[in-house]
Amino acid sequence: MVLAAQVLVKEIRMERKPAPIEIALRDVSVSYPLSPTGRKTVLSNLNLDIDCGEFVAVLGETGCGKSTLLRLVLGQEFPTRGSIVVDGKQVTRIDSRCGYVPQKYSLFPDRTMIENVMYGPENAYCGWLGRLLPSYRKFKRNLRFEAEAQLQRMGLRATDFHKYPHQLSGGMQQRVAIAQALMMKPPVLLMDEAFSALDPSTRASLQQQLREIWQETRPTVLFVTHNTSEALLLGTRLIVLGPHREDSQESNVLIDMPLPQSGDTIAERKQSREFLELREFVKHRAYGSSIRQDELQAVSEVQERGEAL
Amino acid sequence: MASVAVVGQFADIQGRPRKLWTQSLSWVLFLVGIFIYTQFSIIRHKENPEDRVVPSVAQLYQGIRGAVLEPAEEDDPLDANASTYQRITHSMLAKDTLSSAGRFFAAILLLIPAILLGLHMAVFPYAEALFLRFILFFDKIVALSLLPILFIAFGIGDWAKIMLMVIGVAPTLMLDTYNLAKGVPREQVVKAFTLKSSNLDVAYRVILKQILPQVINSVRLNLKPLALFLFAGEMIVSSDGLAYRIGIMRRHMGMDIIIPYILWVAVLLFGMDALLRFANRRLHPWF
Repeated sequence: MVLAAQVLVKEIRMERKPAPIEIALRDVSVSYPLSPTGRKTVLSNLNLDIDCGEFVAVLGETGCGKSTLLRLVLGQEFPTRGSIVVDGKQVTRIDSRCGYVPQKYSLFPDRTMIENVMYGPENAYCGWLGRLLPSYRKFKRNLRFEAEAQLQRMGLRATDFHKYPHQLSGGMQQRVAIAQALMMKPPVLLMDEAFSALDPSTRASLQQQLREIWQETRPTVLFVTHNTSEALLLGTRLIVLGPHREDSQESNVLIDMPLPQSGDTIAERKQSREFLELREFVKHRAYGSSIRQDELQAVSEVQERGEAL
Repeated sequence: MASVAVVGQFADIQGRPRKLWTQSLSWVLFLVGIFIYTQFSIIRHKENPEDRVVPSVAQLYQGIRGAVLEPAEEDDPLDANASTYQRITHSMLAKDTLSSAGRFFAAILLLIPAILLGLHMAVFPYAEALFLRFILFFDKIVALSLLPILFIAFGIGDWAKIMLMVIGVAPTLMLDTYNLAKGVPREQVVKAFTLKSSNLDVAYRVILKQILPQVINSVRLNLKPLALFLFAGEMIVSSDGLAYRIGIMRRHMGMDIIIPYILWVAVLLFGMDALLRFANRRLHPWF
């Protein structure tokens, strides 16, 4: 009876919108042993405060520590020095409040699409004993409806719901992975180059969907990408990481700036002058491409406006 | 010219034999084996009609008939009116097969904890620290060298033979499971934790479920070593079992029993292997 009540209470909890949480990194450095004597520093003296509900796009060259930053927040990896605090608590192990979408291997190969999406809530709200209760069948039926709705929202067809991951294309797999993470309504969503293996059209449609979902539920998002345009279109804040210089103690954050939020859709934002100017500016700062003086002027105006917000 | 083309096809990596060809080719070596045996037997029986080393087809038939329908020498003879079913169930082959199968399946059941230990070693770092080095060392001990110790510890009954099989195969199976579980991408484990999995969920519902088809394959590949250890035990000390009978028949030069027994063991193992492959396909369609 008590357990049945617990299941019902948890069903109600599922309906609740998650409260976004803030993330703080204090003097974080990460280095790995490279040879018997040397070490390679990936992140150095990183200080970041990410507010509740921010959509932070993290950009940078390969090996500059983007994914490491994500793994630190997730609790999969620990800093050599410094501390990471999520929602007031220091991260010491993998935080189940975080939703995680890696670039690959994100789906369980032994489960169908729908089973993958149902896996999290089933775990969270039932447990091993809960599966023995009579109310479990009703719970599972409701959960299936919710999972189907989530998958349809991601643009997936009902005829594919019972397919295994190896029967799906890369784009479909990533859609399922995002649906799987979103089913938990995580207050923090960590995405590690989640769209990098997708074709341009799938990528654009997923970008739009992700943006809409973020606007609806406002989780705190950390979105790692290689793609400058993607970072600028999706984020409310941009962090560009550069390679760490061994002779320097400085942080390897090259850019940390708010992003203008003009336009309702991704397509509209893509057409705006601000976007085009910012893209050139970021490419110049992050990758050293040439930039005109008037563009720099425009960017500084955008930056000032963003800071004023 | 045609023969050159056929040889050419055999050497062609990109060759695609038709289904009929594949089926036919897979039986060719069996037929060649039977042909060579019968020719060899005919030659030997021309020289000595009483030859027992390479029994003729008729001798083999008599041997099989005796093994399948007659009780073992050490057992009481059956009533003359006994039905064929009674004769088969009380036969020497049935008795030996059941004895060996009992030991064999007992050992397989005892290998389940070994698989679980391998899984725990891979998943839980403290279990890994405690067991891995010891198992790696234990794996290098020649199991047959433990036989005297096993006979002293467990007596000369079935347990010594079962333990020989378990000790012989368990370390390999443990390390196989360990490696398979370690091979599951780290992203899956991390993802499972972010989906509110407990430690046991990750170990059993994520990792074990994923590696189970490969673990079953590992058990399949270890069927022969298991049978080998069983035969070693039965040949040294036993009063029944397939290997015991082969050992007894060796003393009497009873090749008409030994050859069918060897083929029967191969058929049993082949059947078990096929059954596990079938079960793997049915239970794990995603694999």
